[in-house]
Amino acid sequence: MYQYNEVDQTLVNERVEQFRDQTRRFLAGELPEDEFLALRLMNGLYVQRHAPMLRVAIPYGLFSSEQMRKLAHISRKYDKGYGHFTTRTNIQFNWPKLEEVPDILAELAQVQMHAIQTSGNCIRNTTTDPFSGILSNELEDPRPYCEIIRQWSTLHPEFAYLPRKFKIAVTGAPEDRAASQVHDIGLHLVKNAEGEIGFEVLVGGGLGRTPVIGKVVREFLPKQHLLSYLDAILRVYNLNGRRDNKYKARIKILVNALGVEEFTRLVEAEWEFLRDGELTLTDAEIERAKSFFKPFDYDPKAAEDKTLADKLSADQSFATWYEKNTREHKVEGYRAVIVSLKPYLKPAGDITDVQMDLIADLAEQYSFGEIRSTHDQNLVLADVKKSDLFAVWQALDGGNMARPNIGTLTDMIVCPGFDFCALANARTLNIADQINEKFDDLDYLYELGDINVNMSGCINACGHHHVADIGILGVDKKGEDWYQITLGGSSREDARLGKILGKAVAADEVANTIESILGVFVEHRLDNELFRDTVQRIGMDPFKENVYAVAH
Amino acid sequence: MPLLINQQIVEDNWITLSPERLEETAELPQGDLIVPFTYFLENQAVLDAHEGQVGVQVNGDDNLAELYRLHQAFPLVAVEFPVLRDGRGFSIAMQLVRQKFQGQLRAVGDVAHDRLGYMERCGFNAFQIPEERFSQEDLAVFNEISVHYQGAAEDPRPLFRR
Ligand code: HEM
Ligand code: SF4
Repeated sequence: MYQYNEVDQTLVNERVEQFRDQTRRFLAGELPEDEFLALRLMNGLYVQRHAPMLRVAIPYGLFSSEQMRKLAHISRKYDKGYGHFTTRTNIQFNWPKLEEVPDILAELAQVQMHAIQTSGNCIRNTTTDPFSGILSNELEDPRPYCEIIRQWSTLHPEFAYLPRKFKIAVTGAPEDRAASQVHDIGLHLVKNAEGEIGFEVLVGGGLGRTPVIGKVVREFLPKQHLLSYLDAILRVYNLNGRRDNKYKARIKILVNALGVEEFTRLVEAEWEFLRDGELTLTDAEIERAKSFFKPFDYDPKAAEDKTLADKLSADQSFATWYEKNTREHKVEGYRAVIVSLKPYLKPAGDITDVQMDLIADLAEQYSFGEIRSTHDQNLVLADVKKSDLFAVWQALDGGNMARPNIGTLTDMIVCPGFDFCALANARTLNIADQINEKFDDLDYLYELGDINVNMSGCINACGHHHVADIGILGVDKKGEDWYQITLGGSSREDARLGKILGKAVAADEVANTIESILGVFVEHRLDNELFRDTVQRIGMDPFKENVYAVAH
Repeated sequence: MPLLINQQIVEDNWITLSPERLEETAELPQGDLIVPFTYFLENQAVLDAHEGQVGVQVNGDDNLAELYRLHQAFPLVAVEFPVLRDGRGFSIAMQLVRQKFQGQLRAVGDVAHDRLGYMERCGFNAFQIPEERFSQEDLAVFNEISVHYQGAAEDPRPLFRR
């Protein structure tokens, strides 16, 4: 894991004092509201329905036990004893007091954390695959590049007032678990014909009111040019992105307006000034970044473990959890554990201070002290010995974090919706509960296979509803909550946008509608076909006919 | 309006001619002038005849390719930040610096305390701050953050090359 040096620490410390002064000037009436707004957003501070909301950065979703304990402490001392993990792999606190935010930031700085650029029209936290570094088919671990990008983008003087927010995701394996194609820039580590590893560069993906899949602007970018090429893209965007209409200000709109060829031409022309210049990465710098993400000292004896098989056959609940909530690891004798933050009838992604402390302890005892947050609002303990899995499961179960539902219908992504978000059109948490209540039968869920359901409380799409197998979007009709349903989206390698099923359904009909959708799936499904494959094969019509026939 | 150069308040020896003022005046005033870049492009003969120095003011809507072609002719380029949200001026400055613009690079418009540091790093060496936004504390702002990952105008090397 990346360790701060003196420069990193000085930077966050000074940033805390800078923000303390900005907050003081605002509270003293010296700093106009609109200016403080831009400044506080760049420090992750929103003002929401109930209170300010503070979004703390977890760069590329990787953090330590010590940091988790600090988050637990902050939730206890300054909030109501919980936090909320988001699709951006950050954590949000919903109840801090504005005056106390500088103190919270000072506490975070003690453990190498901050809230820099978790919001605002700047380069946001870079995200990646939560299984980075432990996959056997990975070309290279993407995290060193995420760290290189983090440093380049942090307090970048030129790109702090972009037309709009800007998000970058990096992946290192053929699978895409970072939704990279719906980011402003998606970077994929790839190998070219000469066997060199570099980046495929996609630009202009995004969700929100105009969902778009990113387009390839460069099939192969040699690694050393990573930053100079990003610099070129950002400069073209900063100078040419629309600023007259905030709904048309994202880079996806620029790419579409110019056409990808013209956009690429502008970027390449700008890059001509930069390539081989000072931003060119040196081998030493790449090696330095890599040195923070070296494989751990895995126990060579772990592979000899014979206890797991016995435990699996002895305990069906454990076996089910093992099957659903753990993943393969490239080192024999180890597995990655997915901690489900989707317990029954609790908001997706929520975590209490007690749960945070428990995870911190488990990570320390069983997973080299590291934790990862995922874009589907769960956590991962990536390096657990097989012989320890039973103990980890028992502890997680005791903490209500072992619901064996990863990948299933109840492993939903859900934005906070009307209960917390000032922009929402509709509630989401109650609908998630409704779905949980209706589909509580695990055997039925397993029978259905992997299905992802994503829900957003408004068109901003924080819950990624466009790229779900089943997407649910809250809409407001004359003051009542209605829900528009989409099918067939994907945020993976085959990224695509879901199609609208038909007219929106009433709040109390959402789970029933999903039931009818699943009925059509089961009827048409071949063998163990996945929901997404059936939808692709049979198209929307059978769903449309059936769902709306039943509803009337 | 206070003008900061080298982190000191200095006398502004330049006269800024807004488009409105240019419309009203039949004759250019004496002294060193800052004129809108579009005006410069359309009135070069008049300006050639002018005795004092001539600088230009641009913003992101101007023909920047033309600015970059001509910039060495100007002793001063003022880059306008029309509103807080408009950050194009940062990139314009960076591009001028990259092309070794040697004159005064002045930030004008929505120029205030919390952006001065960023502006300086992008190559601005003069800051025209609206009277009501100015305070003595502005002079201290340049050193609020003392370390940087990125290269900047005066030293383009990022941290890993320093
Ligand atoms: C409660 C406070 C929040 C507010 C005010 C907010 C606001 C917004 C807005 C305005 C957009 C649309 C931006 C655009 O299209 O230009 C957006 C998009 C998004 N937000 Fe949020 N959001 C909030 C919480 C969250 C949470 C909790 C998550 C994660 C669970 C999240 C993740 C996202 C994502 C992934 C997008 C889509 C980005 C894209 O277009 O590519 N946001 N948000
Ligand atoms: S999708 Fe809408 S309701 Fe949900 S968090 Fe985003 S802005 Fe708020």
